[in-house]
Amino acid sequence: MNIIEVRNLTKDYKGKRAVDSISFDVEEGELFAFLGENGAGKSTTINMLCTVLAKTTGSAFIAGKELGKEDDEIRKAIGIVFQNSVLDRKLSVKENLLTRGSYYGLSAREVKERIEPFKERFELDEIWNRRYEKLSGGQRRRVDIVRALINDPKILFLDEPTTGLDPKSRRLVWDHIDYLRREHGMTIFLTTHYMEETRDSDHVVILDKGNIIAKGTPAELKSRYAHSKLVWYTAQSPDSENLISRISNEFAYDADHYNIVTDDDLTEFIYQNKKHIRDYELIKGSMDDVFLTLTGKEFA
Amino acid sequence: MKDFMGFTRRNILIYFKDILAVFFSLLTSIIVFVLYLLFLKGTFVDALTGTMKGLENIVSSQDIEMFVNGILLSGILGSSMITVPYTCLQTIVKDREAGVDIDICSTPLKRWKIVLSYFTASSLCAFIMTSLILTVGLITLGFMGDLHMTAGSVLASYGAVLLGSLSSTALFMMILLLFKSSSTSTAFFGILTAASGFVIGAYIPLSRFSDGVQSFCNLFPASHITALIRNLLLSGISDKIDSSIGGLDNGAFISAVKETFSFNAVAFGKTFSSSGSVIYVLIIALVSILAMTYLYKKTYMRR
Ligand SMILES: Nc1ncnc2c1ncn2[C@@H]1O[C@H](COP(=O)(O)OP(=O)(O)O)[C@@H](O)[C@H]1O
Ligand SMILES: [Mg+2]
Repeated sequence: MNIIEVRNLTKDYKGKRAVDSISFDVEEGELFAFLGENGAGKSTTINMLCTVLAKTTGSAFIAGKELGKEDDEIRKAIGIVFQNSVLDRKLSVKENLLTRGSYYGLSAREVKERIEPFKERFELDEIWNRRYEKLSGGQRRRVDIVRALINDPKILFLDEPTTGLDPKSRRLVWDHIDYLRREHGMTIFLTTHYMEETRDSDHVVILDKGNIIAKGTPAELKSRYAHSKLVWYTAQSPDSENLISRISNEFAYDADHYNIVTDDDLTEFIYQNKKHIRDYELIKGSMDDVFLTLTGKEFA
Repeated sequence: MKDFMGFTRRNILIYFKDILAVFFSLLTSIIVFVLYLLFLKGTFVDALTGTMKGLENIVSSQDIEMFVNGILLSGILGSSMITVPYTCLQTIVKDREAGVDIDICSTPLKRWKIVLSYFTASSLCAFIMTSLILTVGLITLGFMGDLHMTAGSVLASYGAVLLGSLSSTALFMMILLLFKSSSTSTAFFGILTAASGFVIGAYIPLSRFSDGVQSFCNLFPASHITALIRNLLLSGISDKIDSSIGGLDNGAFISAVKETFSFNAVAFGKTFSSSGSVIYVLIIALVSILAMTYLYKKTYMRR
């Protein structure tokens, strides 16, 4: 079942098109990744879907409710972790969460009940009475995520949840996301500009200058747009190139090795020619290659 | 209702948790107080004795002292009525800058409630601070002497600071809509801090200025409220002084004093009675609230 359906969604900022007639579906319970460089239109899309930014044209259904007509129903069904922190710096974690809960009509007791299942996992006890401004980047992100869970949402939107975090905190955020999907069956819609972060998602949409340039599972995208590569460390010679031409005619010599592009399974080939091919690397196609192929740009 | 209360509570907390902001919101009042201790008191007393002309031996210096102390209190109240609500309302600009408004609008909290809550929170903060100042002021003055205030005028003074808090907040909500970044709104606050003491006549009574300047200053509801507060705080002691003169001057001294210290707002060649000032402030507040409702509906979170 599709929990999000987007059709021809478009956003113009004063004549400048930021999102250009995009369409896609998100299945219930999946991890859906929205990938694109800075300025691609990720935040614009997420903000439209979260009802905080008016669409120019197009339509969307979120949790079965129509965007622009049943916004309050949508708001009750979603949680959002914004790209920039939106909690109050001078207030404690407790005060922040209780006030946010009140916007959904929840009493202090109800908020505490709601976050009880997450308290241990997100290590809230130790920072409960601390001011938000005194927290580390990783701790803040944890509180941001809990804030998004306060209304028990069906869908969790995260706008670049790992940007600006150190590798360890980034790892932890991913653990949390996995946990929410697994244990709570939540649908996760996230944006990122880290190619490799989309590896574990169920579906990926790649956005470039407001347009969807590719969509599919990571495996589909890789098989369509990324190629495996054999790097063979050897001296340049006509004999070697003869051998290479049996598997690919897309190759080049670089300093001390050949780069050979091919999608075939090379294990057998290398085994048969192990007398010649002694020093080599096999590099699997990555999401980086997908982006490179699609846009001709190296990913930042 | 829980959502509205929750957001209002948050807006109030934001102000009180920021000690530095609270300090700066009271800076003008503090300056007025310090200047009073340094020399303003002397000039006020001189202005009073200057109009006495032979009554020096009749009017007790204790009464004169209490009178100028009351003038000081009105000045402190008047300036905080401007600076406190403005400081609170800066939350609107800061929220917009930090994207907090987007977060709030992603919840089922209705937009009209958001706008109303900013208004309520700031009015409440202003009322809390001004009535706190009023209470502390009245108690301190009570220890120093007798202002001869009736229970009714004490109560009415609290009403006046409430009206002042509401009307200033309504006016500033429109002004703050113009500021897109907190740096501009802070710059404007600097101007307010410097100007508010003059506008309400805390340093120099407004009567000393030309008609044009007086008219400009009395455009602001806070100036009218300050004049009103002077009446409420000081009519008791004025009557006391007048009766101690015993009709020798047919009340000329006290009416001259009331004119000197601007007990009534003067604007565009017209002298406002106290009730005239209240009506003026009510009209300004009402117009501001209507305009604010309209403007915010048009602009707030319309992207
Ligand atoms: N409020 C705005 N007004 C005008 N242009 C905007 C606004 N917000 C974003 N844009 C423009 O829209 C495009 C998409 O921005 P955004 O959605 O923030 O991209 P991303 O989140 O993928 O980095 C960019 O070119 C950006 O400059
Ligand atoms: Mg973004």
